[in-house]
Amino acid sequence: MTSAKISFRLIFSLFVTAFSIYLVFLLNPDGAPRILLNLLTFAGIYGLSAIGLNVHFGWTGLLNFGHASFMGVGAYVTLLLMPHAAGREGEVTTTGLPFFAALILGIGAAALFGLLLGLPAIRLRGDYLAIVTIAAAEIFRLLVRDLESITGGVYGIINYTDNFQKYRPLFIDNFSENLGFSPSQAWVCLAAWVSIFITVLLLKRLSDSPWGRALRAVREDEDAVRAMGKNAVWLKLQSFMLGAGIAGLSGVLLAFNYGSLETTVFIPLLTFYVWAIMILGGVGTITGPIFGSIIFWVIISETDRLAYLLFENANGQQLAGVRFLLVGVLIMFLMIFRPSGLLGKKEELLLDVK
Amino acid sequence: MLDQLGNGLLLGIIISVASVALSLLYGVTRIVNFAHGEIIALGAIATLFFSSPLDYRVLFLDKFSPLGLNFVISCILAVLVCGLFGGLLEVFLFRPLRKNDVGNIAVLVVTIGLSILVRHLYLLFATGKVQNFPLELQRRQTYLFFDMTPRNLNVLIIGIIVMIIFGLLLTYTRLGKAMRAVRDSGELSSVSGINSDNIILITWISSSMLAGLAGIFQATINDVRWNMGFLILLLIFAGTVLGGIGTSFGAMVGGLLIGIMVQVSVGLPFMEGHTEAKNAVALGIMILILLFRPQGIFGKKERIS
Repeated sequence: MTSAKISFRLIFSLFVTAFSIYLVFLLNPDGAPRILLNLLTFAGIYGLSAIGLNVHFGWTGLLNFGHASFMGVGAYVTLLLMPHAAGREGEVTTTGLPFFAALILGIGAAALFGLLLGLPAIRLRGDYLAIVTIAAAEIFRLLVRDLESITGGVYGIINYTDNFQKYRPLFIDNFSENLGFSPSQAWVCLAAWVSIFITVLLLKRLSDSPWGRALRAVREDEDAVRAMGKNAVWLKLQSFMLGAGIAGLSGVLLAFNYGSLETTVFIPLLTFYVWAIMILGGVGTITGPIFGSIIFWVIISETDRLAYLLFENANGQQLAGVRFLLVGVLIMFLMIFRPSGLLGKKEELLLDVK
Repeated sequence: MLDQLGNGLLLGIIISVASVALSLLYGVTRIVNFAHGEIIALGAIATLFFSSPLDYRVLFLDKFSPLGLNFVISCILAVLVCGLFGGLLEVFLFRPLRKNDVGNIAVLVVTIGLSILVRHLYLLFATGKVQNFPLELQRRQTYLFFDMTPRNLNVLIIGIIVMIIFGLLLTYTRLGKAMRAVRDSGELSSVSGINSDNIILITWISSSMLAGLAGIFQATINDVRWNMGFLILLLIFAGTVLGGIGTSFGAMVGGLLIGIMVQVSVGLPFMEGHTEAKNAVALGIMILILLFRPQGIFGKKERIS
């Protein structure tokens, strides 16, 4: 793959992304900035999560279908360590760690859960690992739902956003007022994109390092890695931890974007969303998921309007179903016709079980 | 605990029939079919469509009216519809993928996309409401040492008979032998004059028919929901893995065991007040099996790492 070809793809991706944002303005004459902010916030959070998934699947070739649980662990640990209210009665916990300490512990917990979920990866081949990870993610979700005294169960967690919003700089308030934004969402959006920026810088360094090359070598040929004296098992576990930590961070951001947290957020569909974004952006790339995520969310948010026009009898649940339907179509078509996505390289795809 | 045994057997027979279907398909085609649950739901939804009374307008945004056929005929038609659906999937989706040498993992991701697509088509078509077959309510009775309604006892008996017949067909007929030959080695069987494309097509059709039957069982015992297939899919994986992936007999026993374990675990002392977590028990068992005895109870040892 020549660098000219890659930069052509990059320009093409930029163009498509810019065009899809333009489309939002075109289709929403009124209130476009507000819709765009909502869209970019979700795009940032899901894009970050997809970057983490790409470390698992794109770099190391680990078939992880439990990504939602990493986001969930990060979110739940962080929120529960801070002052919050939870459960049926909204039981208030006033003591807790400050935001950044809780965040670091939350990311750490997600990474640890990644280590735990990575252990089966030592023994299992691709498709078996897919089943184990999706099952483990469901176990996590069922347990969180069941342990109502700690996690709030189906009633969820509320009143935690102040822990983060109190750090909101004044300029965001001024800026939001002019454009008619919600300042709290603008702050989450900014945090998400700063996180993406930092993560991409970090991953760029790691990707070019001997460690990053060793990871990709695990994907290509594990036996060769072993023959070179590298510990393939430990490399896989490290990859699981790194990707899970990134997902944990995105889970925390997702929780702050929602304002209240329930277990239904972390259903397997969340994982499939992130998969769709990763494939759309490009498996094995670092920046691909960012473009993928923006385009994905433009498609999703405009589908809602289209569905509303097409099915006038449908109820809210059915209208929301139309967007999921489209996610399914997107995953299928991408996988069949363009598995390398917008930015990915075909040679870097691991899609066959040996 | 024993009072849950009847429920366990009923859940077990659903999972068992569906696991046999999944296991057969995996054995012959090496496809981990995440859309299996949607074929199960198709069996239930098609039966609902064929059998509901004519004035029952809930299907597809109130635009279609059901056919109001006899219930048994509806079930048979629904199973045929599932077989047709499976056959169409093979001919128009999975056969072209196979011819283009698309890898197993890519196909797995395709089945996930297919599952999401089809499931939400059901949501549009059959609404998000919980629905029931047009059957009268029955009182539970005690058989031996478990309680269930007479209709559910029939379901259990039909399920066991179908699986015995299926097992015999697989073991003794030419077709069954051909299926097992393709499962063991596609290349060797095609050298011996077996048309593996046809065998795979028949596998898809029969697997989908069994899945549709499992869906009818599930809907008869419980109810019809648009996402009923996905809700039970992971339990089916658990049953398949427990018995040994790719073995039909193992899937039968594994499915029954998982069903019984899920329901009986509700009665365990530490599960008191935590009934929602019962599925977690089955999934936990599946993970442990995969880690420590990946070939399952009845499977042959095979490298899966």
